[in-house]
Amino acid sequence: MTRLRWERRAAPPAWLTPALPVLAVAATFALTAVFVVLSGAGPLAAFNELFVQPLTTRFTVLEILVSATPLLLTGTAVAVAFRTGYWNIGAEGQLLAGAIAAAGTGTLVGGLPRPVALLAMGAAGAAAGLGWALLPALLRVRFDIDEVVTTLLLNPVALLLVTGLLNGPWRDPATGFPESERIAASAELPPLLARSRLHLGFVVAVALVAVAWFVTTRTPAGVRLRAVGLSPHAARFAGIDVRRHLLGAALVSGAIAGLAGVSEVAGIQYRLTEGVSPGYGYTGIVVATLGALSLPGVAFGALLLGLVNVGAGTAGRRLGVPSQLGQVVQATLLLVVVALLVLRRYRIVRAGRGARP
Amino acid sequence: MGALTLALLAAACGGEDVTAPADTGGATAGETTGDATGGTATGDATGGTATGTATGGTATGAATPDATGEATGAADGDVLKVAFVYVGPVGDAGWTFRHDVGRQELEEALGDRVETTFLESVPEGAQSERVFEDLARQGNQLIFATSFGYMDQMLAVAEKYPDVVFEHATGFKTAENMGTYFGAAEEGRYLEGMAAASASPSGELGYVAAFPIPEVLRGINAYTLGARSVNPDATVRVVWTSTWFGPDIEKEAAESLLDAGVDVVGQHQDTPAPGQAAEEAGAKWTGYNSDMEEFAPEAWLTATVWDWGPYYIRTAEAVLDGTWTSEQYYGNMADGMVTIADFGESVDDETAAMIETRRQEITDGEFAPFTGPITNQAGEEVVADGEVAPLEDLLATDYFVEGVIGEIPAQ
Repeated sequence: MTRLRWERRAAPPAWLTPALPVLAVAATFALTAVFVVLSGAGPLAAFNELFVQPLTTRFTVLEILVSATPLLLTGTAVAVAFRTGYWNIGAEGQLLAGAIAAAGTGTLVGGLPRPVALLAMGAAGAAAGLGWALLPALLRVRFDIDEVVTTLLLNPVALLLVTGLLNGPWRDPATGFPESERIAASAELPPLLARSRLHLGFVVAVALVAVAWFVTTRTPAGVRLRAVGLSPHAARFAGIDVRRHLLGAALVSGAIAGLAGVSEVAGIQYRLTEGVSPGYGYTGIVVATLGALSLPGVAFGALLLGLVNVGAGTAGRRLGVPSQLGQVVQATLLLVVVALLVLRRYRIVRAGRGARP
Repeated sequence: MGALTLALLAAACGGEDVTAPADTGGATAGETTGDATGGTATGDATGGTATGTATGGTATGAATPDATGEATGAADGDVLKVAFVYVGPVGDAGWTFRHDVGRQELEEALGDRVETTFLESVPEGAQSERVFEDLARQGNQLIFATSFGYMDQMLAVAEKYPDVVFEHATGFKTAENMGTYFGAAEEGRYLEGMAAASASPSGELGYVAAFPIPEVLRGINAYTLGARSVNPDATVRVVWTSTWFGPDIEKEAAESLLDAGVDVVGQHQDTPAPGQAAEEAGAKWTGYNSDMEEFAPEAWLTATVWDWGPYYIRTAEAVLDGTWTSEQYYGNMADGMVTIADFGESVDDETAAMIETRRQEITDGEFAPFTGPITNQAGEEVVADGEVAPLEDLLATDYFVEGVIGEIPAQ
């Protein structure tokens, strides 16, 4: 019997990055087929509904872009931080901070012209996201306190802040429902097309992905950021101020995540709600890792997860299976992606072959 | 990019069964709204694919991926496609369960003339907008949304699809093609309160409540008034859960009330979980939505029960006949939309007879739960002696009556 073992890779092979999403979709398909069959539907029909049908109508294609918009932003936020070696797990909390700021600003800018109102909301949201990222970043660069823990733990704090506001001072006085007052009309991100929810936030998100790509790959600052991420010791030896770059990446990451909150409040919800983010910050980590921390990869990952999200929303009903199946498929895809990432670091070899460590 | 390429390729091959069912079926609804713009409003050329909606029988079981056969069925103008959007799972044994029973009654009553489909556990808020739009695009001519938090999203989609009839339970916003429906749960709540106070040696009752919106406040007030009609010193302690459906949270909230010393638990929640907490503590329980006796038989007293089927049948018939108009329907015990469940063994004969008498008076219109004098928590008179609170006031309830312990979070 052949014995297998894991072996660490020096670097992931070039073919792996594009192959991962295909592998992930295929593995998800195989794993969930069991449940699809148990629910009484055909696996091929399920695949068709989840991954293909959403691409066949204008409505669903635009909805994929709507779904992808916050993921483009949180994915970029995570990728920028991770590339610098700053493990920001707090995009969710930073997004919520941005959403709170946007909802608050949005009700105050009623009299202002739309560009001014939108800029004010954007600035407030970015500042709030940055502010939410500041404490863990300072703790990291000053005292070397692990940011994975601190950024993660601030997420539920942000959610509690949202819940507290909505069940307290910001509760909608008209309905008593835990939603904030609707933002001013001039503070709404305008739709891009008639009869669609796709809004200006999508253009901003795409532009930010492009800017982030340019900065990280085409500027000296980007080179330094990546150097810090690849090897802080070597970067320090080369005269780079590692702390300053870590701090910068952490804050930029927080600001971008904050903008995701602005985009959802000003483009979709028009108010703060407890459901403003169904985990966009966490999904941003999956988007960024699925995209191998490259910005084109982030764009691809956000679109793929947007597709699955839209497909999962309707597949259940169309197939006549419980609607929870869509959620099962989404969750499986996320788990499979994370599991497959191990292949970037390790490969499986037969015992006795390959280089010994 | 492999997956996308593959998907696009498959889309190119599989995209032939695209039809525009909304155009064929929309006429019926369009005539009734008086805003018949024909197919143009829904005529977004790509249309939807007419796949997978179950015909007759159960909506989930019979679905087949055979798109062509079903597309033909949908094109038949006599079949009304009706969709239901639920906030919880149909297995919640409460709110959503009762709506789904109503859906099944609709199918039984109208047979081949309707084709129903439902979506369960759809989150309230922005995410629901895609669901409503998708249902409208799939050629559903009548869409029921059964939770308050769908209001703005349904209204937004209703404006885009004037040929589709939208019906929103518990809300207050309407359009020419969007009506609302709900009922006087307070009539049942009052009777529940009577049963609760009769079963409570201490006179301290508890109430697990979802959100401080008028619908819930009204129910708590009626419960308290009913309880104090039996025991003038009775109190009702309220805790908020901020969720309609959350078995764990509902149960924990009930436990916190029991720890505080209440011996009967009431609820405005979707599941029997508060009853299970009462059962474990040896306390009594009034449920909500359905006859939940089986979940906590020792604790069970009674519950306000919804009967949605007749309304769903009438509404679907009106859309089929072209007589549907947008209205704000408010059912009650007289029309049968609201009723109470059979009493549990903990309700003695004397109490049962007393409640039955009151119930008959309510049904006959001889008694209204909100008859003055009614004072609020601060002791101020809100309904004068002998007067009956008008419905518009009740629909905007924003106070607790005297006897309620708890506060309405900042308004």
